[in-house]
Amino acid sequence: MSVRALWIISHEKGENVSIRFSRRFSTVEHRAKRLAGSSYVAVPEESTVLQLLLTELGLSNSDKSYVALRDDCLHHQRSPALELRVDGPGKGTLWPVLAISQGPLILACLSLVDVPPEPRPPLANLLSVSQGLTFLEGLQTFLLGSGSKPDGEGLVSRLAMLPSVLLQVCPLGTPLDVPVLGAPATPTMPTPAGNQKQPAWKTGLHRGRAVVNVALIETVRSMQYGNQSRQDLWDVFGTVTCKCEVEGVLPNVTVTLTLPPNGSPLQDILVHPCVTSLDSSILTASSVDNYDGSAFSGPYKFPFSPPLEPFRLCSYTSQVPVPPFLGSYQLKEEENQLRVLVTLKLHESVKNSFEYCEAHLPFFNRDQMGVVDMKVSSGQLDVSKEKNLLVWTLGQKFPRSREVTMEGRITFSGPAPGPTDPLCTELTAYLKLYFKVPDMTLSGCCVDQHSVQVYSSAKPRIVTSRELQSKEYFIWNSTGTAPVSSGQMML
Amino acid sequence: MDVCDKSCVPLSSKTLLYAMISGPSRFLSGTTAEAFLAELLRELRDDRASYSVKVLLLSPLCEYSTLLCPSDSVGEETALELMSVFAQCPPKSAQFRCHLLLALSSVLVCTSCVSSRSRASQDFLDLLLQISQDTGDLHGDGALHSLRVTACDCLRELEACSPGLLSQHVELLSGLRQRETFRLHQAFAGLHTLVLRNAVYQLTQEKGAGAEQLKALLGGNTSVAWEAAQDSGLMNNKDSAILSSLILGPMGSVPTLHTGPDCKELRSVLSSLLEESYLLTPFCQAALLHRLTEVVAMVPGVPPAIFRAQLLRLLGTSKVCLLHATLLMKCAFTDSLFSAEDEAFILKRLVVLSQHPLLSTPEKLFYMDCILHFPENRPINCGDGDESLPVLMTPRLASALVPTVFNDSATMLARLNLLCLVYLEEGEEVEGEEGEEGRGLAYLYEHLSSLLHIVKNGGNREIIVTFFRAAFLFLSYFYHMERYSNSLTEKLCELYLHHTHLAPHLISLADQTQDRLSESNWAVELLRELQRVITSAPLTQLTLQDLGWHLKMLARVAEEGKIPQRTTLSFLSGVITPSSSSLCVSGDWRLGNSILGVCRRLLVHPSLDSLLIPLADVLQHLACRYGDTDIQDHARLYYTLLTTLSREKLAGVLAQGAIEGGRQVKKRSLSSLMAESEGLTGVLTIHQMEKAIFSVVEVNSEPQTDKESVPNQNETQKCPDDVNTTLEVYRSQFNNPAFASEITLSYQLVHTEAHDSRFDQLFSIRLHFSLTDDHYEELSDISVPCLFRERPSPVVKLRLKPRRPHPTTLHASALLTTQDGLSWHAILPDIHVAFQQAFMPLPAPPAWGRGGKLNLFEGLWDEFCSENEDCATSLFCCQLKEAALISLVEKHFLPYLISDLSHKEEFKVLLFLPPQSHMLLKIRSEEDAVHFDIATDNWQLLPHLSSYLLTLTSSQEDTHS
Repeated sequence: MSVRALWIISHEKGENVSIRFSRRFSTVEHRAKRLAGSSYVAVPEESTVLQLLLTELGLSNSDKSYVALRDDCLHHQRSPALELRVDGPGKGTLWPVLAISQGPLILACLSLVDVPPEPRPPLANLLSVSQGLTFLEGLQTFLLGSGSKPDGEGLVSRLAMLPSVLLQVCPLGTPLDVPVLGAPATPTMPTPAGNQKQPAWKTGLHRGRAVVNVALIETVRSMQYGNQSRQDLWDVFGTVTCKCEVEGVLPNVTVTLTLPPNGSPLQDILVHPCVTSLDSSILTASSVDNYDGSAFSGPYKFPFSPPLEPFRLCSYTSQVPVPPFLGSYQLKEEENQLRVLVTLKLHESVKNSFEYCEAHLPFFNRDQMGVVDMKVSSGQLDVSKEKNLLVWTLGQKFPRSREVTMEGRITFSGPAPGPTDPLCTELTAYLKLYFKVPDMTLSGCCVDQHSVQVYSSAKPRIVTSRELQSKEYFIWNSTGTAPVSSGQMML
Repeated sequence: MDVCDKSCVPLSSKTLLYAMISGPSRFLSGTTAEAFLAELLRELRDDRASYSVKVLLLSPLCEYSTLLCPSDSVGEETALELMSVFAQCPPKSAQFRCHLLLALSSVLVCTSCVSSRSRASQDFLDLLLQISQDTGDLHGDGALHSLRVTACDCLRELEACSPGLLSQHVELLSGLRQRETFRLHQAFAGLHTLVLRNAVYQLTQEKGAGAEQLKALLGGNTSVAWEAAQDSGLMNNKDSAILSSLILGPMGSVPTLHTGPDCKELRSVLSSLLEESYLLTPFCQAALLHRLTEVVAMVPGVPPAIFRAQLLRLLGTSKVCLLHATLLMKCAFTDSLFSAEDEAFILKRLVVLSQHPLLSTPEKLFYMDCILHFPENRPINCGDGDESLPVLMTPRLASALVPTVFNDSATMLARLNLLCLVYLEEGEEVEGEEGEEGRGLAYLYEHLSSLLHIVKNGGNREIIVTFFRAAFLFLSYFYHMERYSNSLTEKLCELYLHHTHLAPHLISLADQTQDRLSESNWAVELLRELQRVITSAPLTQLTLQDLGWHLKMLARVAEEGKIPQRTTLSFLSGVITPSSSSLCVSGDWRLGNSILGVCRRLLVHPSLDSLLIPLADVLQHLACRYGDTDIQDHARLYYTLLTTLSREKLAGVLAQGAIEGGRQVKKRSLSSLMAESEGLTGVLTIHQMEKAIFSVVEVNSEPQTDKESVPNQNETQKCPDDVNTTLEVYRSQFNNPAFASEITLSYQLVHTEAHDSRFDQLFSIRLHFSLTDDHYEELSDISVPCLFRERPSPVVKLRLKPRRPHPTTLHASALLTTQDGLSWHAILPDIHVAFQQAFMPLPAPPAWGRGGKLNLFEGLWDEFCSENEDCATSLFCCQLKEAALISLVEKHFLPYLISDLSHKEEFKVLLFLPPQSHMLLKIRSEEDAVHFDIATDNWQLLPHLSSYLLTLTSSQEDTHS
């Protein structure tokens, strides 16, 4: 359950590598030595670790096309744990080294193996592995913020905070919590409130007006082929994010998700650890099961006691009968030009009101576009600056017919070759849809403002919202060969 | 005031700290651990240093405790020092006090002071217990609170490293846990659980311990619980088993404590811990569940159902460590806690989580790993740590995890591995049938083909590497399915012809399949096919780059005794023998070496007998025609070996190189020279030296006088009297073109000041000079056997053959070998050859005396003064006293003096400059000045001479003024 050492490394595509922070936990190392006995391998010095780690991650010697240590086909790249083969006097294998990387940062730690080391135990037997992964991801979020681009100065200042942060969350190599941005270095003392215990994951108490904000975001993905041999696919997953500003040491809040009649049940529900109890029926539906029609379909109640910061209360997947957009994309190669025909149909169940809706048509392995002679029935068409991408901006609304078309020809007579892609060769090409529809979900799932219950003295203000957004919404050219994207196709 | 500001760290400490952390072993080789530790402790005691600085100073003690405190006594002393620093530190400096506690724990644990219960460690333990119970924080500023939390963390780490240390305090900790409401509650819960777990473990090791002792343990009645507390504590310290997790899967056995069914007290403690577990962070919850799982596993009197109330919450969790703790619980309790439905549910969950869009890649990989080590209720295999599929894993369920080209590399490989296992099992059940299962396998193969297609279309390095790993994975499961393995061979060969640079990947694939799948013949078949496609492709389209890869590939093919090598040989001879062969003409060393690499393997091939003649032909051709001497030499050596040694001897000589495999690059043996391999590149490459490590310095040697031409004291009669005859005899010497055509200059090689120990001893130095103009003939290289910094440097003689004896500059460079066997190329400082360096004494026949020479002088003088094409006369004047003139002549012209030195009224000097130029000087002191009358047969040299005379006379003036 502990880590022996922690490293934070920055790099630019394998270049300019440096260790920005490192920490060894000598007491954990002491345990590691006793646990491993004769097979103990000490943690080498920073420069050695760095070099071995980069090799394992395939980032070293980027100028060489083949390096045996890095590219050998026997390498177990599929495991979440790396092994570092240390040479020299302290020869041996350091395992399991966990590493996650995002943008310019690599975070790595060496977990303690607290079971007999020979033969090598499965990762599943080591609680330190899942803890290490969660810890690294928490650190990553702390250092880079969630998702958005990392800023250099922010990173530097947060790296400088690490020593005092680690004193709180991982003082002696055993992770206790993930660091929270903005949390005070020394948590304020609670006022004595009887015997009620304040959760350790709650860094303070809220005072002031009670506000509960529940946001439901559904994301739809799709692969459409327009082809008999390839079945079209789509799936939907939703997340419910809450920000609860409610007084009390351990206030009770319940959020209920409801589905319309005949709505297909929510599947694969995952909940935040602050949820106090769960009904077993909520967990039964699974996307890998056959849907037998008799499954529980709500209402889904989630009683919880909220932490101070915004958190993801739960997530689910759903199997909806139709995708929001049905598209067809046809390309024909004619002498020196490409004939393009695109049709997009908005399904009648989807609200015809977008925050944005765009179709992107990239072209690979060709010269830049020369003459673009295209007609669109709605919206506006732009050629990107690099002349390898058509951007069809469809605006906020589809016409009444709920169908738009684009037709025309493109010649690729530009002066420079465009981008290459080993997958999209010849007529293998796709169109990608980007859209966001406010105030709707595909599954029909919603959080009714009145269903949010807060057990507290003051009546809170309750805000709920929902929206549908796209991610990886692909429509493949039906005249080319398109790659298989899911195992559902073969069944 | 505790804000950490690195800039205020005293420079010395800061540098020291940085040096220490970035390379402790190198750092400590410069100073001693003792000195550094003393320095650290001194600064920690220094009142002037700020606490933020002191926090930094503590980090080496926390991270490198064993390096700084190599012995128990040093640890003990250091701990006492640190505790006194702690005692003197005001409570306000909470951060520093917290860090001090961490440093103390590290030092005491790592030096085994804790396990030997030393004085300092007992004091520290008391201190920690006291701090953890100190509720006197009336100001409520949280400083004491965080100190208490840290003290608890330290106690937990001490107990973790020295199990049983706190066994006597179980009840105290239980009380503290219940009393505290805030973060301390979590700290005490973790500590309490661990101490409880260790205490129960110790009881399991005591003979006759049972319900009564357990009850006493929980009630704090330690005199009953520990009849020999100290002993048992010490015993456990020698045994690392107590440190290990007790949940090891189906094969692990757990020590048990037999208590009977009545364990009310323990049950109530466990229930209370579990009830409040919700209040802990996911990390602490997971750790607590894990420890409690161990406790329940050790005490059969407590039913695992005690966990049931928590299960739904845990199974629905989005946190990987909580679900993992649940899986470990399943591993420990199997069907006594988890029903068959639960099992099916958990497996489905794992499949869902393995491809969940909201999870990170490492998490998904971890869940896939959990599927392959799924803790089944009724495991069939004995759980030896190998990957295996749970029984409930159907192809239908697994179809959610089929690999696609959209996956990242690691995910794709993990999925492929899992699906291979799925279809391998299916395939075993319905061998060869085209059913549902065949479709699954067909899909996997199709997937592999799409990857190959992407590689073929120019995928980047990551895709290439991933494809070859996928291919290896697929083969390792399905090499026996010939339909697929043969087709893969075919596709790989086609791929190779398009992208020959994939040769190293293909060789790695062949090597690994051969090593790991010893029962399979696939690798040999692949190599055989590769040999076929390489050797049957038309040679006309072959580029040199492709050829390089082909030769690498054929070398690997030639290692296979089962593959006939005739086609390889005809390919080789096809490449090198045609007279138009650009390869032979180009003399590319690398390619030549690659060819030799193939030949070398053929020399030890079992079918050598049948290859003898064509191989000999190829080698002979290389030896005679290849445009690189080194390759020729090696080919000749191979040829000689092939034609003179018996097969056994040949194999013996060459096998040695094969075993070394080029790894021992420093050993320069015959075999390592012959074995072409990657490891040799270091030796075979010539490294470029960045700075000159030695220069070529002129030695002030005696002006060149041929011994034979030393003026003969006996004025012999051999000299013709007649001036014309003299000239004739003199000139006739030049019929031999080599006569007096060279000037020899002496130089020394001198190490430069910049000291680099690698270059103190240099060997096989080959100096190369190149011209900057066309006044001289090309120079030949000079070899120097060795140059050692400590020894006198060798003198090298540079022989210059002028076309025109003008001053010049030579570029110089050197090839050399260092002691470690590496070759270097160094550019040396330019060498300047001055005009006067080309002067030679008159090359008159040795038998001539001064008289003859004077005759010749006069003859030449008269001739040069007559109007001849290149001849010219000139006059150079300067102010010189007589003494100065004499000293000048003595110093600079003595070897060239024709007249007698005693004839002070006029000096006659003859400068001979090869190949056939003369400068005649008559030097006389006139009233007003010294006159240098000059006559020459090469007027172009006059400016050089006058500038030379100018420097001479001006320096002479200086010295005599």
